[in-house]
Amino acid sequence: MAKRRDVLKAGAVAVASTPAIFGGAAIPRAAQAQLCRPEGIRSPLTEPDSPPVRHYHEPLYITPAMSEVDPATLSPPPDPNRHQRYDEFQPVKHYVQRMTEGLWNYHEDLSVLNPLGFGSLAWMFNGATPGETLVARYGEPVFIRRYNDLPMTEDALIPFGLPYTTLHLHNAHTASESDGWPGDFVGPGEYWDHHHAMMYARNDPNEALASLWYHDHMLDFTATNVYAGLSAMATFYDDIDSGDENDPNPDALRLPGTYGKYDVSIILHDVRFDQFGNPAYNVFDTDGHLGDLITVNRKVSPYLEVEPRKYRFRIYDGGPSRFYELGLADESEMFVICNDGNLLEEPVSVTSIVLGPANRHDVIIDFSRYSVGQSVNLLNIMEQVNGQGPTGRRLEGPDRMPVMQFRIKPLEGPDNSRIPDFMRKLPHVNLNEVVAEREWVFDHDMGLWTINHEFMDPTKVSAAPRQGTAEIWTFRNAGTSWAHPVHVHFEEFQVLEWNGRPPTGVLRSRKDVATLGPGDSARVFYRFDDFLGRYPIHCHNNVHEDNAMMARWDIIPNGGDDDD
Amino acid sequence: MKKTTRRTFLASAAAAIPAVATAAVAPGAVKDNPAFKTCPRARGGKNASRFPQVIVQDQHKEKAWFYEDLIADKVVLVSFTSVKGEKYYPLLSNLVKVHEMIEDRIGKEVQMYTVTTDPYHDTPEDLKALAEKHGARWRFLTGAPEDIREILASFNARGSLYALSWIGNEKTGRWMNKPSRLQPLFITEAVGRLSTGKQHKPFLVDDHSV
Repeated sequence: MAKRRDVLKAGAVAVASTPAIFGGAAIPRAAQAQLCRPEGIRSPLTEPDSPPVRHYHEPLYITPAMSEVDPATLSPPPDPNRHQRYDEFQPVKHYVQRMTEGLWNYHEDLSVLNPLGFGSLAWMFNGATPGETLVARYGEPVFIRRYNDLPMTEDALIPFGLPYTTLHLHNAHTASESDGWPGDFVGPGEYWDHHHAMMYARNDPNEALASLWYHDHMLDFTATNVYAGLSAMATFYDDIDSGDENDPNPDALRLPGTYGKYDVSIILHDVRFDQFGNPAYNVFDTDGHLGDLITVNRKVSPYLEVEPRKYRFRIYDGGPSRFYELGLADESEMFVICNDGNLLEEPVSVTSIVLGPANRHDVIIDFSRYSVGQSVNLLNIMEQVNGQGPTGRRLEGPDRMPVMQFRIKPLEGPDNSRIPDFMRKLPHVNLNEVVAEREWVFDHDMGLWTINHEFMDPTKVSAAPRQGTAEIWTFRNAGTSWAHPVHVHFEEFQVLEWNGRPPTGVLRSRKDVATLGPGDSARVFYRFDDFLGRYPIHCHNNVHEDNAMMARWDIIPNGGDDDD
Repeated sequence: MKKTTRRTFLASAAAAIPAVATAAVAPGAVKDNPAFKTCPRARGGKNASRFPQVIVQDQHKEKAWFYEDLIADKVVLVSFTSVKGEKYYPLLSNLVKVHEMIEDRIGKEVQMYTVTTDPYHDTPEDLKALAEKHGARWRFLTGAPEDIREILASFNARGSLYALSWIGNEKTGRWMNKPSRLQPLFITEAVGRLSTGKQHKPFLVDDHSV
């Protein structure tokens, strides 16, 4: 740091020695070219590359499940009046998380570059990123108190983002005040309480959610705060998707189980690192931000030792702007069992999966086809050169991006898991219940990202459906070159038509993100039940979201006033 | 006379460049990347390497180094428009309302600038007329077209219409943007949010749930 003072001094001298006024245009261009120039437009193609790292060098970080705290230790105690339906869904599990700034080992080769010691700068939950997984079960309501222990803005070492946080449990059927509304942020030294009722939407077990994630949703700073490390995963179990592959319940699906062992959650973030091994971010590119290294659970292209048997991987695209097509290097088969984290009716056999920001797929990979000592790599073959979206081309050969490596180790016991023929029925869609149709157009205008030609105004209610009703919403991408993963909080949808056609395969599912390519439109079915309040609809390319591509909609009481 | 002056400029420029250029050799900068030209940059600021080291001129013909004099170590609100652009996509009436809300801070903790997106046509006189027409009492910047284009490029402002306002705090190096036509309150709030110390305001209207 003493060095910095020297640099400042040198800078001051340089300034003093330059003539006060050059006369601007009076100088010939050739001479002016020497005056400054250079960095010019920084585009994803001209961003400095991350320092070199050895791929498949770090072991995968398997995020532990959150550990419960005694509610008596919460001071002050939870305030039931702050939460909708708290008395009906009294918490049975309590958790505390503290968000702090610290050092995280993304990769040994990056960590050693850091003059602060070992590690890369990160914002973390309870000292780790991703934070601990919320492993929850239907019927067991959850209470989480989250303290913002980040430094004040002027003291924060991470040079991007704002240390004000609001945590969104992505896809959860949760009351507005616990949903992580972008304006419900708290600053350093403050906390926010989240209450998750762990109820099925409309009490219908077919509405069960499986693979969710929580991430910061700070107004204007979601992309940067998440990039700094504020995201993690959540796993919801119930009677049939119980996480136990030896479950004696005859209805149990017995998918590869035991959280953290054969049921592994992995979240992808593409990160660019600076010369000191810290994450680097260009806030001035409003199209998006691309990293050049793929991190899995915040480890740069790690490896995982697996047994020659079936595994369930819950794969999350944590953003901010990268789309993926993931496949095994030998192009062998995987079974998609979930789209956006929710069980499909039937598994779909694929050789690759496509993920937009915030999309999730659960896949079952059967490693029994490999022998002990072999390894197989997971690669990204989607070409993307800027934050707007994929180019539509595939990467080939050595251009494919390393994601992670599976190394086959000896089998430890019998594999009693199954790939069921049928999993969970899709909830019934009754179009006779529809009381309104709405269209949401995602576009770009004068440097701005817009929804219905407007930009985020948290005081403006763009739609106010009544509780207990159903509507058809159409999301339309009016762009010609960019992609928008459209996300609506609180409630999932089922696709009725995608570009005018009924969905097939993995798209025939319950979803919370509609990844729209240029010109795409999706017509979907929504119901609004159980809770009231304000929720956002936004583009989940977090950079677009932070650049005003968000709108507020409210669920209002049935019989209420439209202007409420 | 003019020629002599110009030669003097060049001579002093030539003398200044090596000093700046030497000082600008930061450890492991981006110079290994062939996509970057290496060149002298402003020093000592958080984003000094990002912004061009160019001279700009305001509507009163006062000249300044864009980064070192106007941005470095300051809280700033930078918007973009032009005489022509304002006809098609008016922003200034809204920004005047923003200015009113932070007027007591302008020139002290907060600096407000509008950079022309049309430096080929907008002279200081034009910008003066434009500002006066809207009652805008902050600095409107123009300069050599190539220089202004460098500035626009550093904000990723493309085309002659660019409707984002950038709010920056170069004491901390943090920047954010707001649409220039957004409710003035939210633009003002962004200025407060990025301000530090006593001037920091997380929100102007508390919109929190319960």
